[in-house]
Amino acid sequence: MSVTLLLIIAFGSPFLVYFCGKISSGLRDGLAVVLSLVLTALVALIYGQSLEETFYAGFLGLSLIIRLNMLSWLFAIAITTISTLALIFSLQYIRGKERTDFYYLIMLLVNAGMLGIVLSGDFVSFYIFWEIMSFSAFLLISYNRGAALAAGMKYIIMSLAGSVAMLVGILSLYASFGTLLFSELAVHMSVASTGYIVFILILFCSAFGIKNAIIPFHPWLPPAHSEAPSPFSAVLSGILIKMGTYGFVLLLYVVIGLETFLRLSVFQSILNILAAITILIPTFIALLQNDAKRLLAWSTVGQAGYIILGIAFGTSLSMAGGLFHFLNHATFKALLFLAVGAVEYRTNGVRDLNSLGGLIKRMPITFIAVLIGTCGVIGVPLTNGFVSKWFIYKTLILEGSPFLAFAALFGTWGTILYSYKLIHHVFLGQLPEQYTDIKRAPFSMGVPMGILSFAILLFGVLPGIPLHAINAIGESFGFASLEITIWGTAAEVGVLNTVNIFAAMLVVGLIVWIIFKAGPKVILVSQEDTYAAGAAIPKERYQYTVDF
Amino acid sequence: MVNPILLIAVPLGLAFAIPLFGLLSQKIQRYIPVAALGFNLILSLILIPRVMEQPVIISIGGFPSPFCINLVAGPVGVIFSALIALLGLLVAVYGLDYIKEGATEKYHILYLLLLTGATGVVLTGDIFNLFVFFEILCISSYALVAYLGDKSGIEAAVKYLIQGAISSSLILIGIALLYGQFGTLSMADIARNIESASAVSVFVPMVLLITGFGVEAAIFPLNAWLPDAHSSAPSSISAILSGIAIKVGIYAIARVVFTIFGAANIFLFITLLGLLTLLIGEMCAFSQNNIKRLLAFSSIGQIGLIVFALGFATSYGIVGGLFQIISHALSKAVLFLSVGYMIYRSGSMEITALEGMGKRMPLTSIAFTIGAFSLVGVPPFVGFPSKFLIVRAALYKEELLFIVLIGFVLAGTVIEGAYFFRIIQTLYFKEKDTSIKREDTSAIALIPIGILVISIILLGIFPQTVTAVLNSAASELLDRFEYIRSVLG
Repeated sequence: MSVTLLLIIAFGSPFLVYFCGKISSGLRDGLAVVLSLVLTALVALIYGQSLEETFYAGFLGLSLIIRLNMLSWLFAIAITTISTLALIFSLQYIRGKERTDFYYLIMLLVNAGMLGIVLSGDFVSFYIFWEIMSFSAFLLISYNRGAALAAGMKYIIMSLAGSVAMLVGILSLYASFGTLLFSELAVHMSVASTGYIVFILILFCSAFGIKNAIIPFHPWLPPAHSEAPSPFSAVLSGILIKMGTYGFVLLLYVVIGLETFLRLSVFQSILNILAAITILIPTFIALLQNDAKRLLAWSTVGQAGYIILGIAFGTSLSMAGGLFHFLNHATFKALLFLAVGAVEYRTNGVRDLNSLGGLIKRMPITFIAVLIGTCGVIGVPLTNGFVSKWFIYKTLILEGSPFLAFAALFGTWGTILYSYKLIHHVFLGQLPEQYTDIKRAPFSMGVPMGILSFAILLFGVLPGIPLHAINAIGESFGFASLEITIWGTAAEVGVLNTVNIFAAMLVVGLIVWIIFKAGPKVILVSQEDTYAAGAAIPKERYQYTVDF
Repeated sequence: MVNPILLIAVPLGLAFAIPLFGLLSQKIQRYIPVAALGFNLILSLILIPRVMEQPVIISIGGFPSPFCINLVAGPVGVIFSALIALLGLLVAVYGLDYIKEGATEKYHILYLLLLTGATGVVLTGDIFNLFVFFEILCISSYALVAYLGDKSGIEAAVKYLIQGAISSSLILIGIALLYGQFGTLSMADIARNIESASAVSVFVPMVLLITGFGVEAAIFPLNAWLPDAHSSAPSSISAILSGIAIKVGIYAIARVVFTIFGAANIFLFITLLGLLTLLIGEMCAFSQNNIKRLLAFSSIGQIGLIVFALGFATSYGIVGGLFQIISHALSKAVLFLSVGYMIYRSGSMEITALEGMGKRMPLTSIAFTIGAFSLVGVPPFVGFPSKFLIVRAALYKEELLFIVLIGFVLAGTVIEGAYFFRIIQTLYFKEKDTSIKREDTSAIALIPIGILVISIILLGIFPQTVTAVLNSAASELLDRFEYIRSVLG
C-alpha cells in the first residue's frame, strides 16, 4: 500500500469532516472517529516495511520524499492511536460547545501534520509538516479563550522562533551539500567539520528543544497544556511535544550518525546536563501547582527530560530506555490528561486542586485510571514506566554517571510526591457538598481511559512487545543489539523479567489477602468519624460527654 | 504580433474615455477599469513566454535607438505588468461594490491612470519617460488617498504630496545631470557610457535617483508618508498602494542600480538599508492599535525584506526578492481587501473592533487568516517559498555576515508572526457577544478575495510555476551588457 495514500487520507479527512459538520453533527462525529480508526489501522498494517518514495517532485527544485522505517512507524502508531483516543474522548467533552466543526478540523489537521513529520524523508517536507502542525496547534490552544489567548501567543512565538532557527539550519545544509534527503545528508555529515556540525546542531536543537520543552526552552508548555481543551492537552503532551523528541533522534542518529555524535562529547554532556536539569526543576515546580492540569504540564516537562537523557546518553540500553519512555509517556500522560479532563467535564471546568476532593466515591473508574497513570509516571513495577526508567537508571549507574543517576532518581522521588498530591486532592479526602450528586465519566470517555490503562499494564508486564520494535530502531542506528525477550531483557545487560515480578506481586497480594481474610473482621468507620482516628472500636462503645 | 505598447495605450485611452462613457450610461463607467485591466492581464500573460526567449523592443516614432523612446518588454517588465494587471483587475472588481459614494467617476479615472502609470514605469526603456509615468502614478495616488475627503485623508494626502513632490524634483535633477553628461535619455545608452564618466559625476545623480525613488518605495528613512497614506485611503486603494505602487518604486531603484549604474559597491549598503527598514517596520507594526496602520507598517517591513534580498545582487537573491514582491502583493492585497469590509461593517479601524468577526464575517475572516499566515511565511501558503528563497539566497552567499543578517531578518518575521497571530486570536477567540448575526462581505467583493486566496495557496504549493520566469528576470537585471546589447542592437 502506498504511504502517499495514507498522507492523502490524513490531510483530506479534516476538511471532509469539517464540511460534514455543516450537514449534521452526528455524521461529523462518526466520520471523524471512523477516519482516525482507519488511519490507525493503515499505520498498523505497514508495520515492518521500509521504503522511500517521491510524493512531489520539483518544489523549488527539490523532491519531497516520504520515508518509512521502524523509527517513523513507532512514532506514527503512537500518533494515530493517541489522537484517535483523544478524539473519542472529545465526542462527549466537546458536545454542545461552540465551534465544534473547527475543533474537529484542527484535531485531525494536527494529527495529519504530525504523521507528515514522522513520514517525511527530507527536511523540506519535514519543515512544511512541522509548520502546519505548529500553527494548527496554536488555533486549538487558543480555543478556550481567556487565559488561553496568552498561552497561545506564548506558544506560537516560541514555536516560530524555533522554526526560523530550523529553517536557517535546513538551508545551510542545502547550501553546503546540495541535498536535503536524510539518507544523503548522513553521508555528507560524516565527513563534515566539527565546527559545522556543532553549528547545525545548535540551530536544530533550539527548534526541537522548544517543541520538546527542554529547560530553558520550556516556558510555553505549562500555560499551553493547562489552557488547551483537555483532549487536546492529551495530544499535546502525549505526542505533539514528542515531535521534538523525534527531531532529536533523527538529527543525532540518522543525519549526524552515532559515531560522529559520540565524538562531540562536550555537546553530548551539555545535552545530558540540560536533560538532568529538565528532570529536576520542573518536577519540584509541579509539586507547587494548585491547578491539576498545570501540575500535569510541569510533570510533562520533567518526564520529557528523561526521554532526552535516554536518547542523548547514547548507549544501546539508554536509547531503548529513552524511546520506550517516549511511548510510555505518551500512554500515561495522555491517560492522566484525559482523566483530569473527565473530572473537569463533570465538575463544569473545575481544575483547582484545593476545591476538589473525595471524588473516588463518585468517579471510581476515573480514579483507577489516574491511579494506573500515576503509577506509570512514577515507574512502579508492573507499569510500563518502570521498565523504561529502569533502563535509564541502569545505564546511568553502569556507565558511571552518578550525578545524572542521582538527578533521575531524585526526580522520581519528586514525581511520587506530586502524583500523590494529584490523587489525594482530587479523589481522596472529603467530598465537597457541591459535588455530591455528580455522575461517573460517560462511557465514551471511559473507553479511551480503559484502553490506555490496559496498555500501561500490558507494556509493564510484557514490555517485549514494543521493545522488539525499539531494539530494531537502535540496531539501525548502529547500537549493539539488546537481547529482548517478551518479559524484558536477558543476559549481558542484566536480566529484567517483569513476568516474574508480576508473579511475585501476585503471590504477595494473595498472601496479604489471606491474612486479611483470616484476621478479625474489618469495621467500616465513616470518614467524618474522628472518635478513634479510624481504629476498629465498635460504635456502641463510643463515649461522648457534654458540659463535662 | 502582440504589441506591448497596447499595455499602456489601451488603459490610458480608456481612462480618459470614462467621462465619455458616462454620457452614455452611468452604470457602464465602473466596468471600464475591469475591462482595461482584464485586457492588460491577458496581453501580459501572452507576452511572458515570448519575452523569456527574447525581450521585445519597440521604438516609438520610427527613429532608431538610442534616439527614440523605447519600450523594453523584458521578463522583469512583463512580470511586473502582469502583476499590476492581475491585482488591478481584482481590486477593480472589488471596487465595483466597495466604491459607492463620492466622486465615483473620478475614482475610476484616477484608478486606471495610476495603474497605467505603473505599467508605463516598468515597461519603458527611457529614463525621462520613466519619470513621466512615475509622476502619473504619484499624482493619481495623491488624489486617491484623499478620496474619502475626511480630515485625516486630506492631511495624509498633503503629507504624501509634499514628500512626493520633493522626491520628484530630486529625480528630475538626477535625470538632468545624467542628460547633461551623456546627452541621451535612453537607459541602455546611459548604461553603455557610464564607465567613461568620472566616479563623482556618476555618484551624485545615482544618489539623487535612489533617494527620489526611495520615497515612493518607502525605504527607511524616507517612509514617513506611508502609514498615514495607506491607512487613510479607501481599502481598495491601500491594497493597490501597498501591492503595486511601492513595488514600482522598488523596480525603479533596481533598474537604476543594476542596469544603469551597475553599482556593485553599494549593494551591501542597500541590503543593510533593507534590514533596517524591515526591523523598524515590524517593530512599529507591533505596537499599532489601528488595523490599517498596522498593515501599512507591515508593508514597510516587507518592502525592507524585498530590498534586503535584491541587495544580494545574486540570481538567488533577486529571484527571492521578486518572489517576495509577488507574494507580498497577493497577501497584502487580501489583507487590505478583507479588512476593508470589516471596517465597513464595524465602523472602526481599531483592532478591538475586529472581535467576533470570525462569526460575523466567516469567509472574510478566513481570507484574512490565510493572508496573515502567508505573510508570516507559513507553508503551504505563498509566503513560505519566498521566505525559503530569501534565506537560501543569504546562505548561498557563504559569508558569516549574511548568516548574522538573516538572523535579524528572521527575528523580524517572528515579530510579524506575533502581531498577526494576535489579530487572528482577536478575530476568532475574543468576542463576548454570543448573538452575532452573520453578514459577510458582498458576493461581488468576495470573488476577488477568493481568487487571491486561491492563488496564495496554489502558488504556495506550486512555486515552480513562477520561479522559471523569475530566473530569466534575475538574469536580465544582473546582466546589464545583455540588456544594453538587446536594446541598442
